[in-house]
Amino acid sequence: MKKSTQILLVIAVIVVLMVVSVVGKYNSLVELETGVDARWAQVENQLQRRADLIPNLVNTVKGYASHEERVFTDIADARARLLGARSPEAQMEANAGLDSALGRLLALSEAYPELKADTNFIRLQDELAGTENRIATERMRFNESVQTWNATIRKFPTNVLANLMGKQQKAFFEAAPSARDVPQVQF
Amino acid sequence: MVKRKSLISTFVFILVLLTLTSFAVAASYPAPRGFVNDFANVMDQRSRAEIQLIAEKLQKEQGIELAVVTLTSTDPLDPKEYITGLFSTWGVGGPEDSGLVILLSIAEGAIEVEPGYGLEGVLPDGLIGAVIDQEGIPHFKNKDYSKGLVNMARAYANILAGEKFEIKKEEAGGTGWLTSFVIFLFIVILLRRNRKYPPGGTGSTGGSGGTRRPVIIMGPTRTPGPSRGGGFGGGRPSSGGFGGGRSGGGGAGRRF
Repeated sequence: MKKSTQILLVIAVIVVLMVVSVVGKYNSLVELETGVDARWAQVENQLQRRADLIPNLVNTVKGYASHEERVFTDIADARARLLGARSPEAQMEANAGLDSALGRLLALSEAYPELKADTNFIRLQDELAGTENRIATERMRFNESVQTWNATIRKFPTNVLANLMGKQQKAFFEAAPSARDVPQVQF
Repeated sequence: MVKRKSLISTFVFILVLLTLTSFAVAASYPAPRGFVNDFANVMDQRSRAEIQLIAEKLQKEQGIELAVVTLTSTDPLDPKEYITGLFSTWGVGGPEDSGLVILLSIAEGAIEVEPGYGLEGVLPDGLIGAVIDQEGIPHFKNKDYSKGLVNMARAYANILAGEKFEIKKEEAGGTGWLTSFVIFLFIVILLRRNRKYPPGGTGSTGGSGGTRRPVIIMGPTRTPGPSRGGGFGGGRPSSGGFGGGRSGGGGAGRRF
């Protein structure tokens, strides 16, 4: 084999290797970003689920405490704000607003012993608590995937490619200190 | 020289520290012993065997994995955080996330039940809570942990009757880059060989090329074995015979 052909072959190998590795990196970046978005979608699912549970809960409580109008309007407003929120920040804020309205609704059970013993009410409370735990879990996993994403696009040589693709760091969602707790009974 | 020595010792120190911390994190969940994990030693032999039977049947016939765990304490985590972490560490459930974990912690007086993603439909949190209230709590209050756990396991198995899930374990993938690289190398070598022996140089000719080739061919067939769970969604560690199922942190819990 001629020397020039050999050199050409070596160059060809290097070029192909580079192309293969860039394509691989590109694909893994795309996959990673899709993963982050999918994680957020999971959080949204649970927020939606929480909003869906509320009318049932309100109806059950109304059966025992129909004159507590104030609490019912508050919770309807908070729920509407959650459903209307679009950006992740607005969603989390509306969700926090729902926390306090829900706390007051659940606190009613202390004043109405029959409500507290209602099996339907107990079930709905379990569903609600489960959904809150799911929101906390999915948010934690979302943060983990954001962390992986942010670390990946900062590392060399991926950062060069990420820059070219116009990829940026993503924001975390800090869990509120009380996010893990079941709504507390307060008056 | 002295400077370099201290540098090396610092490095070693950091390395040891890192290994220690990563070990500490990994060790916060015990390794599973099977379906029944009576770490707190509060169950009698018969109840353990009974739950074992229920769990074996669930896995064999329906592809559902049940894990029952008792602990003296979940400190420093709260029981809910603990069960969610334990669930994903153990990977309870088959490929369709068909797992169910029942956790009893004595010090906290806590009972927690968490379903995998795949069981959320059949076992809504309200129903999970109702079973705890009816089958578990009355016995736990009398410190009869065995009876409560057996009754709960039986109740969940009854609710799950008729549900079928996939059992087979997933194969790890994610060697795309390596495979294409190996194929590429293979082609280059073939080309080179053909150049060297233009007329029909394929037989038992190549000295060095002949020995190098089989080693490379082994590449793609061998790599999937030890690969660590594959690409992105592949964080599915399955330890202790569980199928790598995942949960979303739902379920219900009570204090007694």
